[in-house]
Amino acid sequence: MHKRLTMERWQFRVMYRVFLLRVVDLELMPANSDSAQLLGQFAAMFSSVSLLFSLPGLLYLTGRGRLAADYSWTAEHFFIATTFTVIGLLSVLNWDSGFPDRRDILVLGPLPVRAGTLFLAKISALFAVPGLAILGLNIFSGLVWPLLFTSGKGGVLGLLRVWPAYWITVCAAGVFIVCAVLTVQGVAANLLPRQYFLRLSAFLQAGFSCGLLSLYFLEPHLESPAALTAPQNQRLLAWLPSYWFLALFQQLNGSMHPALVPLAKRAWIALAISVVGAGMVLLLSYFRMMPKIVEQPEILPGRRWRWSPNFGNSPKGAITVFCLYTLLRSRQHRMILSFYCGIGLAIVVGYVTFFGGRGRLPGEISIAFLIASILIMVFVILGLRVVAAIPISLAANWILRVTQVRPSSEYHEAARFAWLALGVAPVWLVVAGLFFAIFPWIPVLGHLIILLLLGTLLVEVCVYTFQKVPFATSYLPGRANIHIAFWVGLVLLFQLVSEGARFEGRLLKHPVSYTVVVLFWP
Amino acid sequence: MLQLRNVHKLYSGIPAVEDVSFTASAGEITGYLGANGSGKSTTMKMITGLINPSSGEILFDGRPVGDDLMAFRQRMGYVPEEPHLYTHLSGLEYLVMVAQLRAMDRRSASERIDGLLRLFGLHGDRDVSLSSYSKGMRQKILLSAALMHNPDLVLLDEPFSGLDVGSSLILRSLIKELAARGKVVLFSSHELETVERICSHIVILHRGKIVADDSIERLRVLMAVPTLEEIFSQLAVEQDSDSISREIADLIHA
Repeated sequence: MHKRLTMERWQFRVMYRVFLLRVVDLELMPANSDSAQLLGQFAAMFSSVSLLFSLPGLLYLTGRGRLAADYSWTAEHFFIATTFTVIGLLSVLNWDSGFPDRRDILVLGPLPVRAGTLFLAKISALFAVPGLAILGLNIFSGLVWPLLFTSGKGGVLGLLRVWPAYWITVCAAGVFIVCAVLTVQGVAANLLPRQYFLRLSAFLQAGFSCGLLSLYFLEPHLESPAALTAPQNQRLLAWLPSYWFLALFQQLNGSMHPALVPLAKRAWIALAISVVGAGMVLLLSYFRMMPKIVEQPEILPGRRWRWSPNFGNSPKGAITVFCLYTLLRSRQHRMILSFYCGIGLAIVVGYVTFFGGRGRLPGEISIAFLIASILIMVFVILGLRVVAAIPISLAANWILRVTQVRPSSEYHEAARFAWLALGVAPVWLVVAGLFFAIFPWIPVLGHLIILLLLGTLLVEVCVYTFQKVPFATSYLPGRANIHIAFWVGLVLLFQLVSEGARFEGRLLKHPVSYTVVVLFWP
Repeated sequence: MLQLRNVHKLYSGIPAVEDVSFTASAGEITGYLGANGSGKSTTMKMITGLINPSSGEILFDGRPVGDDLMAFRQRMGYVPEEPHLYTHLSGLEYLVMVAQLRAMDRRSASERIDGLLRLFGLHGDRDVSLSSYSKGMRQKILLSAALMHNPDLVLLDEPFSGLDVGSSLILRSLIKELAARGKVVLFSSHELETVERICSHIVILHRGKIVADDSIERLRVLMAVPTLEEIFSQLAVEQDSDSISREIADLIHA
């Protein structure tokens, strides 16, 4: 018995390490990169953000020493909401890693490893990554800011209470979102046949990442005591988890306003439901689904209807269909693209919600809508540019090379067409449909021409900077896909797009200037 | 001794393996043959415990393998048909992981891994990620993982897949050597020439059912044909290979 336990403990440690490294490896980096190094990079990145967040706190602490209640609640909410969103996005990135998969069963199944040990190792690895992120994200800010969150009552004891209250709250918020993601995923996995679950997974993943980002950027600011206790806001607050956990922090901190009791209660109930739900679906998945996974094929064998897009009998047709199927069927590509589109969508919805009606005269398109449509085009093309650089498989490049019987220029032309068909056309059509329904047709037509030219220009930039067939690049080992340049560019992009949209708004009012710009478009 | 008794496997009510019974003895190499989709890999997976038979019994040394699956797996080495590996690990890391999961003594595991990597010609690539390995290199890793704990039962599902000539010759001799040292070897392959050379006993599966279970010599005599290829063609091949090949040539020529 003792020997068996020792062996299982040992097996747990071995598998835990493998799963921990793979949690990062599978979704975020090419297979040949150093996962341990990337894990370290993540921790360093989160700690740097935490250090940055802690600096204003330090300044306050050394200066005034206390925050006004409104500012204090805003800061508390900011840290809770940020932790909640980051952990939620990490859970979406690590989609599937908590559940048994075919490869685990086929690799570890023939070894003397119990399903229970495998289950524990996987779950521990699954929670270790968000745990590391919570720690990293709050390591400095979680030390400094809680000192500013004390109510001023209780002296040293109050100070001692605020730290555990803060850390329990951010951990609870993190656990809630991880478990909520797992529960939704697990319910789908247990109710649906595996093939259908794998298909639905993509949409759930995209939905979660868009939802989390939208919630973070668009959440109304209700952090003041007056707004939080106002009866008209209670219905909205009941749907905003970050405010539940703000109330929970107040409760644990001992400074809770009586009006926040229902929100704190909601946080506890939500936490309990998500933990119990995740526990149940995980147990069911491991002990009910595991044997079925080996037996069931992951791809549906047949379809009742068969439709294949036809882009002509040329490299143009072949490459466009190859890119389309890659985007539709590759989990990794789809997930990264949905992440970029989610950011774009969140910003667009934000702009339209806050500025949609402002400064609009009859017969014009509002600047906010112009900005929104340009941004969504930019984000979709950028997202495609990022995912296009990740090869679908090692052999993708070889397959194209061994079948090449036409000049390379035809392949470049085909890649350009694929970018236009899969990136520009869908956005353009959606914007056209939406804008024609809302705004007068003449300025819409003008904007659509500009949008098409902008999309074409972006595609040309992509084709120029990436002279390869999308999803079929040569293998580049050891390069992590954290696009720092993208985030830096994003800040500059807002200003640029905003100015560009205002310029376009002015142009649409002057037909001659508009025609000149369109004709001389680069 | 490995025994399968009236083993059935149904997938959604459709039989994949029907009433399979055979014995693979220690010191003997049992060739397990069949066309694609005949149920060979399903049988292998049932023996390893990856999937459960719908009915029937699988025994090793007289005991049902399901009674103590962990103990059975300690005595079993399995090379799967598809190279299922954790490709984010290097060859060395993968073998160390398998040795640790098998609770092998650290020093002996290290010596064996080092030796196997050297003998299979992978020592220079031991720190390279498995995702960069060729098919043959991955196969060698799978063979090393299956053999390093000195198993009593060796299950080889298409073990020659992707191996070069030199490695194939080594593996062929190795299989013989393992059998000579008293191991039970169950070996599935489409390479009939190799099977004919090394197997003393063959089991042929057709559409999930056993159509032959005997020594090659006796089958040759019984069926009055000189080679295993002809035995196999008569028992498990329904198509006329000459006419199909002519049709393919005509099609691409048109």
